[in-house]
Amino acid sequence: MNLGFLVGVFGVLILSHAAYSTIQYRGLLKIMEEEFSRPPINVILELIIGLALCMWAALTFPGKFLSIHPDSDENRAVSLPDNSDFMIFNHRGRLFPPQIDMKF
Amino acid sequence: MLVSSSRITRAREMVTKTEETLLNQLENQVDNGGGGTWEYLCLIRNLKVRRSEKVLKHGSSILNDQKKRSALGPDEWTLNEQVAIAAMDCQCLGVAQSCIKALQTKFPGSKRVGRLEALLLEAKGLWGEAEEAYASLLEDNPLDQAIHKRRVAISKALGKPSIAIELLNKYLELFMADHDAWRELAELYLSLQMYKQAAFCYEELILSQPTVPLYHLAYAEVLYTIGGVENIISARKYYAATVDLTGGKNTRALLGICLCASAIAQLSKGRNKEDKDATAAPELHSLAAAAVEKEYKQKAPDKLQLISSALRILKT
Repeated sequence: MNLGFLVGVFGVLILSHAAYSTIQYRGLLKIMEEEFSRPPINVILELIIGLALCMWAALTFPGKFLSIHPDSDENRAVSLPDNSDFMIFNHRGRLFPPQIDMKF
Repeated sequence: MLVSSSRITRAREMVTKTEETLLNQLENQVDNGGGGTWEYLCLIRNLKVRRSEKVLKHGSSILNDQKKRSALGPDEWTLNEQVAIAAMDCQCLGVAQSCIKALQTKFPGSKRVGRLEALLLEAKGLWGEAEEAYASLLEDNPLDQAIHKRRVAISKALGKPSIAIELLNKYLELFMADHDAWRELAELYLSLQMYKQAAFCYEELILSQPTVPLYHLAYAEVLYTIGGVENIISARKYYAATVDLTGGKNTRALLGICLCASAIAQLSKGRNKEDKDATAAPELHSLAAAAVEKEYKQKAPDKLQLISSALRILKT
């Protein structure tokens, strides 16, 4: 798999490890009967690293992003669809039929 | 509508630049013997462009080949319909007849096939029979939009635009949201030089689909044609809206701005200075002229001299 996917998996693993650490820390605090204000510094650092890795993976893994501007060079209107509901057949082209033979 | 194997299956308002380049690319590929014929035909059907000769040539090559035909599966019938209509457009009525016969054997008593048969009568030039066929189809189905539209097309083909306009107006009283019909009505009015009515139709189109720049462009051109200072000022606004919506790549709108500016300057010659300054938009004019010159430098450098002198005359 490519790098983005691996980094994304790694980031998710780091986040889940941080969550597990926080749950264990709360368990420890319950035993020592202290208040739970915030997780320890190393868990917060782990969370920030996991966030950065996951964001990077989310932007690189899906590949090329498509433009959403209606006036960008790819999305701009070039022509309208030909009005085929009102198409008429007696135009000048009917004098030059191409030679097609059907076998079915 | 049968579900086809192509990627793009939504209602069409306009053809974008990527779709146009993809279409041209596929067309080159198919014309030079590369594969991708079915993809090309699906794209034509979805974009609703009218490339009847190509569809006829490549579609009939698929239909003639027994192996390729059975490889399509249920899409074979959609291809039959597409090739039938293309054959009628190219006046290869034998091909159209065989396609319709195949569809008739597969779907006997189908309304859609009945419509195709009436269309074939139109292509043969038997207008009376076609009218009768449509009338009988309408008895079973009085609110069939496609049949009403074909009756308008018959009047148009017979060279009676006033009758076509009458029928189309009656149709639009029932189906006011049909923007194809409004477009057709605008073009019919323009062919009869009834500019104010055509302007009304384009206003309806802009109201219902404000993001399609080509309606703004058409409206601006109708206003410019009607003439008069107020109309040309509005035309300039709509040309500017078109430039905005197309990212500045529509040369016609840019030139329209330059022409409007010159026309306003000429028509307001008799007015006093404050009025003139209120209606002039010198930055818009010079920006549009610069953009036009840039486009020409990129795409047609040998005509750059011509356009520069023309724009200089318009500025004075």
